[in-house]
Amino acid sequence: MTETLAAVGIATLEHLELTALALVMAALIGVPLGAYLTRFRELSGPVLGLVGVFQTIPSLALLGLLIPVLGIGAKPALVALYLYALLPIVRNTFAGLDSIDPAVLDAARGMGMRERQILVRISLPLALPVVMGGIRTSTVMCVGLATLAALIGAGGLGRFIFRGISMVDSEQIMMGAVPAALLALLLDGLLGLLERRLLPRGVRRGS
Amino acid sequence: MKRTLLGIAGLFGFVVASVALFAVVFALVDLRENRSPRTISIGSKAFTESIVLAEVMAELIERKTDIRVIRRTNLGGTHIVFEALRAGEIDLYPEYTGTGLVAILKLSAQGDAERTFRSVSQEFSRRFALSWLAPMAFNNTYALAVTKRKSRELALERISDLTRHPGLVAGFASEFMAREDGYPGLIRRYGLELDARGMEAGLMYGAVATGEVDVISAYATDGRIDKFGLVVLEDDRGFFPPYHAAPLVRRETLEEFAEIAPALAVLAGKLTDAEMRRVNAAVDIGGRTPESVAAEIVARLLESEP
Repeated sequence: MTETLAAVGIATLEHLELTALALVMAALIGVPLGAYLTRFRELSGPVLGLVGVFQTIPSLALLGLLIPVLGIGAKPALVALYLYALLPIVRNTFAGLDSIDPAVLDAARGMGMRERQILVRISLPLALPVVMGGIRTSTVMCVGLATLAALIGAGGLGRFIFRGISMVDSEQIMMGAVPAALLALLLDGLLGLLERRLLPRGVRRGS
Repeated sequence: MKRTLLGIAGLFGFVVASVALFAVVFALVDLRENRSPRTISIGSKAFTESIVLAEVMAELIERKTDIRVIRRTNLGGTHIVFEALRAGEIDLYPEYTGTGLVAILKLSAQGDAERTFRSVSQEFSRRFALSWLAPMAFNNTYALAVTKRKSRELALERISDLTRHPGLVAGFASEFMAREDGYPGLIRRYGLELDARGMEAGLMYGAVATGEVDVISAYATDGRIDKFGLVVLEDDRGFFPPYHAAPLVRRETLEEFAEIAPALAVLAGKLTDAEMRRVNAAVDIGGRTPESVAAEIVARLLESEP
């Protein structure tokens, strides 16, 4: 029993590590990219389309395509998760910033703020709920997708799921699926808390 | 126009930043997975028999040599494991001669076990610098299976009997659906008309037992054939090639570690169909771990050694 629990614990940590790394990378690139697209609006269509193409490639196929280039293990899994996580983050950042009332931005300019100051102090805080919405969508999605990493030797909770399927053993499947679901809920909840902390008091609704 | 070009140039900045980020993370991954010398890794496909055989090979090498073995078992289908082997991510894995011949080399089935083994040995060595060591005794051929009840009701004993019942629903493993030694070749050879659906291999057994599908693609040495009370249909037109499992090893690895081939030689001609079915059943039905079953096999093999 304790042995099983330890195995589930290790797999959960592997799973968390893959998901978290891929998400941090996707947020580091995706949020600035979304902001960048509001400056070059004519590029937003093609770029969002291109980022969206990755979503249309079936995940196992993408992993299969990455193996000749990156081998097996954590590397191809991280690249695949990153590519999938990008779209919700870029699109939400772009949409959030894009939907800010131009009058607000005009007022900021009128107060003598520079473009960069406006982005950091006005636009991003106002768009924060939408931006975080994108990151949270990607998080939940990545926790689910990371189960496939087991098929290319990157470990994680998928190990139990696929072993369970091949052994026709629903208990094993549960050992992978339940912690994965809890992990998704937990990460989503934590990001929700972070969002509340980051949101300036003046913007909070109902406060 | 100039502005747009500027914008596109900026996008390359994002691509470069992504690549740089990955370079850093990959360096960290490499640092952690740092392989010490005198280490090899062994892979397997994602089904019980493949995992058990990989464990057996790993244990044999560990017991008979001082080489350290990293186990990277349960790696998806043939394509994934084979690409991993070619890329040098793993050094060896258990492969089946028939699979090598038809699924990897894309040749058609030809003759008996010995001839099949000779063909794959020559071609793999020439094309991929990979070596086949001596195969084991059992033949884990693909097989079509139906429930005992269905077999009685429709008088199904041979695969050609299926032609009398066009429109039967078949649940075939995804890999079987695509392979030339699977569904496409099978319907051509037998002139079958099936309503075939691709599904995950592990889910087929439950589906046929509950009558969701009428016939499935099974492995001849699969313990679940007995567990679910299934009957294997005879391949009366000799469509499936022989599938004898053998260690498939990178030539580089054999040259670097001369003791691997002798350590695995004890497997040659061992493990019969019946033994392998029992072993698979012990894991799939008995709930034992592949590791513990493999340890028993190794103990038995080494005992019988002179």
